Amino acid sequence: MEFHKILVPVVGSEVDVETIKLACRLARKEKAKILALHVIPIERSLPLDAELAGEVRKAENILTQAEKTALAQGCEIETDLLQARNAGPSIVDEAVEREIDLIVMGLTYKRQFGQFSMGNVTPYVLKNAPCPVILYQQSQPE
Amino acid sequence: MKIVIMGCGRVGATLAGLLDAEGHNITVLDLDSYSFRRLPAGFKGKALVGNGIDEDALRKAGIEQADAFFAITQGDNRNILASQIAKHTFNVKRVICRIYDPLRQELYESLGLESISPTVIFADILKKKLEG
Amino acid sequence: MYIIVVGGGRVGYYLSKALLEEGHEVLVIEKSQAYCDIINEELGSICVRGDGCETSLLAEVGTARANMLIAVTGDDGDNLVSCQVAKHKFNVPRTIARIRNPRNEILFKKLGIDITISSTNVILEQITDVVPTHPVTHLHEIRDKGLEIVEVKIPQGAASVGKAIKDINFPAGTILTLIIRKAQKPVVPSPTTVIMAEDQIVAVIDPLMEGDVRKALRGMS
Repeated sequence: MEFHKILVPVVGSEVDVETIKLACRLARKEKAKILALHVIPIERSLPLDAELAGEVRKAENILTQAEKTALAQGCEIETDLLQARNAGPSIVDEAVEREIDLIVMGLTYKRQFGQFSMGNVTPYVLKNAPCPVILYQQSQPE
Repeated sequence: MKIVIMGCGRVGATLAGLLDAEGHNITVLDLDSYSFRRLPAGFKGKALVGNGIDEDALRKAGIEQADAFFAITQGDNRNILASQIAKHTFNVKRVICRIYDPLRQELYESLGLESISPTVIFADILKKKLEG
Repeated sequence: MYIIVVGGGRVGYYLSKALLEEGHEVLVIEKSQAYCDIINEELGSICVRGDGCETSLLAEVGTARANMLIAVTGDDGDNLVSCQVAKHKFNVPRTIARIRNPRNEILFKKLGIDITISSTNVILEQITDVVPTHPVTHLHEIRDKGLEIVEVKIPQGAASVGKAIKDINFPAGTILTLIIRKAQKPVVPSPTTVIMAEDQIVAVIDPLMEGDVRKALRGMS
């Protein structure tokens, strides 16, 4: 399998670093480009183009962190920041628009109401992605 | 007093029995005739099958002469709609509506609809029980 | 505009689709997960599962900034409550309710719902020429004056037939503006004009008094 453009959604959790590193390893052989994407979720009570300085600053930090990790691995990286109601559809749209050929997603082990939960972004991307998806889940906490 | 009660569940049937025993003229309205089994033996009022959000059914139940109307079906919104028909279309003097959802109850109370939320009252009773 | 649609059945689905195509921001609130999934899949993620009468959910979806709420579930009570909560709790400037029982039209207007749509009435008004069942056809509404222009057809045997207009007991504020008679030019009626069977009368009325106007003109003797 050859990958030229790899999309890595980042959320600002610990798993980001390992996910970027994994993407870099996959990218190295074909000299693929990495695109790190962060989506700021906008509540319905605000218009989609609301200007949220605090959120944007946080997002830029997350993306800078991703950039640093990739550069340290010797990898070429681009970043993108979006505002959306739901992250899932915007990740899929981005993958279509940018002709991405692999999505590498990190997943933090989570329980909701005592049950294992993937949230709603990951299942949406798995279901609708236009390209292969690699899911990276960190080992479960004790 | 002439009183129309919409909804013959446990509360509706019990209320109908109490008011009937006090000599009031009661009509109970329910969608399902099977509900009327809950009415106490010796109930002297009328029991009618009909939809309380339908003006014709309300007329049949004598809403035009009624002094009071209770809306106590299981559906908050049915109760709200029926109460507002009783209040604004038939000008019934006293209209009392059950609304389970506390927020909705608050809103309608502020809009001038006399209403009770059993949810709030019962939670409060349970809490007081615990506190002794 | 930000438009909230309550009810994601067929009406809600096609309505939302059309509104999206016109470039509006649309949010659908629907109780059933299955319907929600269909909308989210086909129209983009615009549907939230829940009860469109619940204050907490309406707050969450930003009803306070909505320009309009349209309630199109199949239940008149649900639609009324959604609109009233939107209007009184969130000050939504325009609320629209779909109505199943045409009788509820007057009540809903009295309670401040801006627009009501009853498919029963729409159909009846369309077929009124073919099947003369609907006694009063709504021609136009003058909303801010609380007036309505209607057309009433006088049936054979009505108590009003043969009477002069001044002798008929109309509710206050009723103005008869035009009488259309078979094989005659339309006439502007005077108080002494005598009503005849089959007359079509155009009148300005108070919509809350529609029942009384109907009784005065079409009541049987």
